[in-house]
Amino acid sequence: MRTVSTALLCMALCMSATGTASADDKILDREVAAEPKGIVDISNVAGTIEVTGWDRNQVSVHGELGEGVERVDVISQPGHTTIKVVLPNGSRHHEDVEANLTVQIPQGSELDVSAVSADVAAKNVLGVQRLQSVSGGVSAELGPGGAEIKNVSGDITLHGHGQSAGVHISTVSGDVKIERAAGDLEVGTVSGEVKGSLEGAHSLRVRSTSGDVTFTGRLASGPNVDVESVSGELTLKASADGGYAYELTSFSGEINNCFGAPAQRTSQYGPGSSLRGTRGNGTGRVYMKSMSGELMLCDK
Amino acid sequence: MKIKSLSDLPRDIAPPRDLWPQIAAQIAPSADAAHPTDVTRSRVAGRSVRLRWLAAAAMVTCLAVGVWIDRSLLPLPGNVQGGTSSVATRTVTPGSPTSLDVAFVSDPRYQRQRAALLSSLQAQLSALPPGTRTKVLASLATIGKAKEDLESALGKDPGNALLQELLVNTYQDEMRVLTDVHSASNAGEGI
Amino acid sequence: MTAAQAQSGEIDWEGGLVQRARTGDARAFERIYREHSGRVYGLCLRMTRDAQIAEDCTQETFINAWKALARFETRSSLGTWLHRIAVNVSLAKRRKPSREEPLPDDEEGLSADWTLETPVEVREIEAAIDALPDGARDALVLHALYGYSHDEAAQMLGLAQGTCKAQLHRARRLLRDRLGMEVG
Repeated sequence: MRTVSTALLCMALCMSATGTASADDKILDREVAAEPKGIVDISNVAGTIEVTGWDRNQVSVHGELGEGVERVDVISQPGHTTIKVVLPNGSRHHEDVEANLTVQIPQGSELDVSAVSADVAAKNVLGVQRLQSVSGGVSAELGPGGAEIKNVSGDITLHGHGQSAGVHISTVSGDVKIERAAGDLEVGTVSGEVKGSLEGAHSLRVRSTSGDVTFTGRLASGPNVDVESVSGELTLKASADGGYAYELTSFSGEINNCFGAPAQRTSQYGPGSSLRGTRGNGTGRVYMKSMSGELMLCDK
Repeated sequence: MKIKSLSDLPRDIAPPRDLWPQIAAQIAPSADAAHPTDVTRSRVAGRSVRLRWLAAAAMVTCLAVGVWIDRSLLPLPGNVQGGTSSVATRTVTPGSPTSLDVAFVSDPRYQRQRAALLSSLQAQLSALPPGTRTKVLASLATIGKAKEDLESALGKDPGNALLQELLVNTYQDEMRVLTDVHSASNAGEGI
Repeated sequence: MTAAQAQSGEIDWEGGLVQRARTGDARAFERIYREHSGRVYGLCLRMTRDAQIAEDCTQETFINAWKALARFETRSSLGTWLHRIAVNVSLAKRRKPSREEPLPDDEEGLSADWTLETPVEVREIEAAIDALPDGARDALVLHALYGYSHDEAAQMLGLAQGTCKAQLHRARRLLRDRLGMEVG
């Protein structure tokens, strides 16, 4: 009976294992069991967070901790692993509270990362990736689970493989760079520059206040594209099987295209011009609009 | 194709044919009546010139009494206090092409939330890393300038649907930035 | 922008379009149609089980929406609002109501999960859903396919929440019998 009780007690402790490394250690190495498609939650104030998906049902954490870091908690619960950098009360955004975390997680995990000024990098993660940083950079490999990226001032760099996925990006002033995007892509920025290459994107929605937006490549058949800015320059050079109907409108910006189609004035009393037409069979739709930003559309 | 859950069934099923032409034919009479022609716009433009002068006079009055805080943080359309108004905030006949009946902006919940975010903005900005704070302020200024430019352009062309849409979206972007600043200033709390 | 979207800092991609459509801009409303016609038609088709009626339902939904744009409340999302209209139109257009068994009184806990024991062909599932009695199918389509909560689905169908849940129970039981496996 006592053996059973002890075993049960040990099991209970293992289920909620809290691995902790104090800052005196400076180095943390911890490994806990994890479900293949569980959630992994990581938070850090400053430093770096590098996450890689692997084929083991374990979460492995290697941390190099700065002087000001109190500890790193690694908490394992069924379906949910939490890794949290803990600072002494009242210390935020100081330069000596850096923690550099290298984390390996089951490939199929959902990944939630929250950082302040830490840079975030993720690769080989197949579940949905929710990556947030305030001022740190965010870099990720896009997987089938898609991604939700939120940043205030750090830059965002995403690498796709032409695999269809939903990607949502929201930034205030960070620059956004996306390679080989497919599936559904949404980007919102105020002043950051947005640049991307498309490899079969089905829908593309971009809104910017003053940041320039440039996309090139190939859209999926029957695409739905909506790109808008107040004063940023908008450029879309992308083909699509079956073509697309297009409508470009600007209040005072120039409208250019490679089809040789002339923009029309929308009013004889004031500024405003638009360009409407169809390329190929017109199975998709492309809308671009601005107040003063220049618009450019080409299907090659 | 096999699926494992009912939620995997497709939600979108394209109609066998494009139904828009029939829909457009049904809504066309009300669309034409509401959509301004160039003749209508010229009459409206004349009225908007008079309104601009009234608005300018109101702005000067507000300056004199020190009500003017920050052009980008003025009361919202439909929520004017003390006679302050920008050109785009005048209310004409609801539903007419010259009115900026921005529904969500007049939503009391939206207004309360915006007011709450603005009142704590200074404190939230000070909680951000210095470099980020500078960039956020610059972005808010960019949004403020965009709103000014759009409202100014709308003053000359009040029925312009493109400008109205861009203005609505710019207000939304302002809200998004304020919300993101709020979240960002709380990030790291509890860490 | 809904209050919820404002709270989360999400981007409302349709607010500007709705604004333009309100002022009579048919082009803007066409954009709204293009964006939502698939979901509206899908909902109409599953509720009415007739492609022609579903087309009529879709058209009528958008025409009604155009007329009611001024009353569109920013508290709900545009998609949800269109679905509410579509549900009303579908219910009105349906063939004469089928005779249905009385609903069971038992209220065992309803799992939110509608997973199947083993993967099944899409057309088999669609046929099984198609064969459900109207009330059960309506509740199942709104809740399990389109993700509306019990409360939302009940409101859209004009039912008490308990009745809606009972219809979902029935749908689950009938699907289980037809597919020969547990559902959820």
